[in-house]
Amino acid sequence: MSTRLITSVAAALVVVGSSACAAIPADTEGTLERASGGVLRVGMSEHPPWTEVDDGERTGVEVDLIEEFAESIDAELEWQDGGEEHLIEQLHAGSLDVVIGGLTEKSPWMEQAALTRPYVVVTSSSGSPEPHVMASRMGENALLVALERHLEQHEAEVAERVDGARP
Amino acid sequence: MRRRGAEHVAGLAERIELPASKRQVLQRAVRLEWLTIAFLVTAVAAMYAAAGSSQAMKAAWIEDLLSFLPPIAFLVTNRVRSKEPTVEHPYGFHRSVSIGYLVAATALLLMGSFLVVESGLALAAAERTPIGLVTVFGHTFWAGWLMVAALTYTLVPPVLLGRAKLGPARELHDKVLYADADMNKADWQTAAAGIVGVLGIGIGLWWLDAVAAILIGASVAHDGWRNLRTALGDLMDSRASVHDDWRTVHPAVDGIRDAVMAHGGVAAVQVRVREEGHVFHAEVFVVPGDERIALGELEDIRDAVRAVDWKLHHVVVVPVRTLPVGNLPSP
Repeated sequence: MSTRLITSVAAALVVVGSSACAAIPADTEGTLERASGGVLRVGMSEHPPWTEVDDGERTGVEVDLIEEFAESIDAELEWQDGGEEHLIEQLHAGSLDVVIGGLTEKSPWMEQAALTRPYVVVTSSSGSPEPHVMASRMGENALLVALERHLEQHEAEVAERVDGARP
Repeated sequence: MRRRGAEHVAGLAERIELPASKRQVLQRAVRLEWLTIAFLVTAVAAMYAAAGSSQAMKAAWIEDLLSFLPPIAFLVTNRVRSKEPTVEHPYGFHRSVSIGYLVAATALLLMGSFLVVESGLALAAAERTPIGLVTVFGHTFWAGWLMVAALTYTLVPPVLLGRAKLGPARELHDKVLYADADMNKADWQTAAAGIVGVLGIGIGLWWLDAVAAILIGASVAHDGWRNLRTALGDLMDSRASVHDDWRTVHPAVDGIRDAVMAHGGVAAVQVRVREEGHVFHAEVFVVPGDERIALGELEDIRDAVRAVDWKLHHVVVVPVRTLPVGNLPSP
């Protein structure tokens, strides 16, 4: 019984999937759609040279990347500052869409946040390679994929800027 | 005296396992099992390449490792079961098949239960799986498509392997093979559930992955439980049954009774048949019509019983004055 059920569900999904190929993957909460032409809520913990804030003036590699991303989807940015852990908590709860702050692939937040693919690899102070990522809300795969595509397009310039390597 | 002694030894050391026609079937089964192991190795590699070492992969790893158990159990027992009886093991090593079956059935039950628990927890925690981009040979696309491709690869061979094993399992009365066919079914259904799950994530239905896995896990666990109960029954010397349903008495049991009763001079008969792996052990109690029976007649009865089914390997014919009662229900 379950075999037939699975087969028919799979068939239905393939039909739905192929007719809406561009819409795959979709967000579970429609974040990208909401942010496009609307507001993208970004949490930021300070971590130079990736993220810096001075008298309300935000600078840094990841700030630039996010600002360009927001522009590409025609979104206003709503910033929130805080410690990494607190921001990730809010991301998980859905009150933030993206968190930046020099996160790396080895971040312990794998379970609470969807990390992007590394967009640049620098050498850490201990000499080991350090692949840098951003965090987006779990399950918002359209947003994740859009952000990853944006980061991929800027890999070369970022690598040059921070003297790192493309992943 | 010496001649009879020699016959006796010949009888003990005898290791006829399979008739010639079945031997080819066995060879096919062995090839199928090696093929299964080879496929599983590539499937593990494909899934690893597609999904990396993510959290979800850990679950898939355990399933994959469990899938290896039935084919390994079959190949190991296949080497052990036809070993000649020894002084320490006067009944031979046929039982190893029942142990292999127990292992295979336990693997199935564990796999199903694991799937249900793992997916149940994921559903309860409302875990939303992130799937981002992947780059293969310079092409960047959604990693879900790569997972669907890898899952499709792991789906097709088990369907074919599982179907191909059902015939030999029946012909050889090999329950390890039968349980392994169930494991192949579990493998391809799990892959199908995985495809549904990934496509579900693709269209934003985060819960579909877990729900599909729970449904499949429950069906796998049910198969495992059914097999485990049969395996335990076999080890507890339950009456011989057909290979895929412990409730159905094997036709050889009635066949023996008929064969013995057809023999003139037998007033009553009681038959006990138990499975020792893929062969049967039969004890036949006969009450001679006029309270006398010749050794030659007992041998004739034994031969007649053996002719009923190739699986009737150990046959003991015991002349008795009255049938043993004990805990045997009336036939």
